[in-house]
Amino acid sequence: MNHEQIKALLNMNAVMKNLEELVLLDSQVAEQVKELDFAIEFSTLFGPKCSVEFKAGQCRVRPGKHHRPRIRLLCFSPAHFNRVMEGKSNPVPVKGIKFLKFLSTEFPKITDRLEFYLKPDNARLADPDYLRINTRFTLNTAVNAVKLLALHDTLGKFNRAHIPNGTVEFRVLPEGPSAVLSFDGDTVEVLDQPCARPSAVLLFKDEQTANDLLNGNSDAFAALATGDVMMKGRIPMIEAINLILDRIPLYLS
Amino acid sequence: MTTTYDYSRSQQLFQRAVKVIPCGVPGHMSPGVNVPAADYPIFTEKAKGATFYDLDGNRFIDYMCAYGPMVLGYNNPLVDNAATEQLKSADLTMGASPKMVELAELLVEMVPVADWAFFAKNGGDVTNYATMIARTATNRKKIVMIQGGYHGVAPWMQPPGHHGLIEEDYSHIIRVPWNDVDAFQQAVDQYPGEIAGFIATPYHVATFYDNELPEAGYWPGIEMICRKNGIVLILDDIRHGFRLDMGGSCEYFGFKPDLICFCKALANGFPISALVGRESLKLDAAKIFYTGSYWNQAVPMAAAIACLTELKRLDAPAVMLENGKKLFTAMQTMAAGYGYDLKVTGAWSMPNIRIANDDTNMLHQQWCAECTKRGVFLASHHNLFMSLAHDEEVISQTLEIVDEAFNALDGGQA
Repeated sequence: MNHEQIKALLNMNAVMKNLEELVLLDSQVAEQVKELDFAIEFSTLFGPKCSVEFKAGQCRVRPGKHHRPRIRLLCFSPAHFNRVMEGKSNPVPVKGIKFLKFLSTEFPKITDRLEFYLKPDNARLADPDYLRINTRFTLNTAVNAVKLLALHDTLGKFNRAHIPNGTVEFRVLPEGPSAVLSFDGDTVEVLDQPCARPSAVLLFKDEQTANDLLNGNSDAFAALATGDVMMKGRIPMIEAINLILDRIPLYLS
Repeated sequence: MTTTYDYSRSQQLFQRAVKVIPCGVPGHMSPGVNVPAADYPIFTEKAKGATFYDLDGNRFIDYMCAYGPMVLGYNNPLVDNAATEQLKSADLTMGASPKMVELAELLVEMVPVADWAFFAKNGGDVTNYATMIARTATNRKKIVMIQGGYHGVAPWMQPPGHHGLIEEDYSHIIRVPWNDVDAFQQAVDQYPGEIAGFIATPYHVATFYDNELPEAGYWPGIEMICRKNGIVLILDDIRHGFRLDMGGSCEYFGFKPDLICFCKALANGFPISALVGRESLKLDAAKIFYTGSYWNQAVPMAAAIACLTELKRLDAPAVMLENGKKLFTAMQTMAAGYGYDLKVTGAWSMPNIRIANDDTNMLHQQWCAECTKRGVFLASHHNLFMSLAHDEEVISQTLEIVDEAFNALDGGQA
């Protein structure tokens, strides 16, 4: 896979994946989607596809084709899709013309909210609610991106080869978000449920600490030394994941 | 019952450190490598014998020995006096020190493989130099090393994917599994006439994993392939050197490398490393311009002479192997009494230990932390080091504290 293809994969399955929680955490978006009942398929020529399905106030973002999308949006290349994600281009609707109004007015409102939560600045982060959601989304993006990079990025694959089978839990204390990555042979998965007995654990003292570290604003070694970040268990898993995490900015900035 | 330690002064200084130093304390001394880091000291105030005191006044029996250099005990008077006396006359000047010649003669006499010696500062200086010599001698590019092997921090030594590396840094590095002669043969077959050198430690000491001794026939097999194919055999004895055999760890395992890299236990903490080699490689070594601002310092050379002489006089490897065996077998018995399986791998003078009941290592990490915050410094994911200062009294104190640490365990789960 080339750079644009991997970037498109990450945009679809790590960045857009946050729509699933956005519809639950943002009241404005929740109101927008509560009556929606259809799926949008994003496809790229010579690249990945994904679908965004709204139903009963919930949202599911899945890789690959949708079995019956109401709307199908085509990009002529992964690079085209990536420009769409940057707001520099538009996809071509090839199915669901009657939803043009939704696509031109409603859907952008949703994606604007997603962008709002994924692009922090100091003023926004001063709001505890914003900090909480940004931390959650950044963690989600990170673990989903690690999964994809471990499978498709050259150095990600190299590092993945050194990760023993098992599960790694990321947990923000005291009651912040958590995520679990599972490695089993060639399979890498982000688990929906907490793991009873993870192989390794990376704990963040609080949301501010997690946010600083996940957004690249603090030094992990220093945070470990002060106890703001704690790791235990099979440390090589965390070390290798950390190297993969550091590759995310090469694709998503 | 020993109370557990408080590290508040260390932590306060660390807050100052992170403002002006990347990582606060960078590299292998970073507290971030300990698990959990907050249970370990950060800054040292003073040291003597087998112990050091941190900034908070906590005393630790040190089983990391500064990652190996301390071998006679901290502030050993014999070594320190030799260094001090040399400092009074000359350290770094425009002329080379006679101590350099004395030290080279001592190593050539002590190490059977050595016909010459070269001095630098750190282990990585001489492992790198060894590969340059191999490339010069063979006019080949490729170096074979062991997967998970550590030879320093130069870009070619680090695994792909680590920060600061580019693809070209490791394009001529071939990694093969430890204890796998066939894998080395396959590499040789895959790159006929292209492999300059094979570099490995005497036995495998990959961080985070049990240590692995060479299987019977491993080193003879590697040596035979090297000889048959004109490949320079490099022994990285930086970590193991003088803890198994004063003639180099190859003597302990019964093989003859072309080059041996020494550092750590060479001078009891004074900064110096050495590369020794066969006569056949001396001219190639001479062709390479390789130097550093402080590599000619006489003080570490004087310290090395004193240290090696004392190690030899005391038959240090045998003593450390014996004392290590006493200590760690006692620990194993104690662990078994608590229902724990303490697995000891590697040589007794520098073993890796791990509570094997829990495959996540959380239990082992908790136990090492409990030992450390009571005064026995144990790294949880690196081989430990014995020294001559770890005598019967120190071992006895250690076992008392280790017993308390076992008592303090609660299962180690998250």
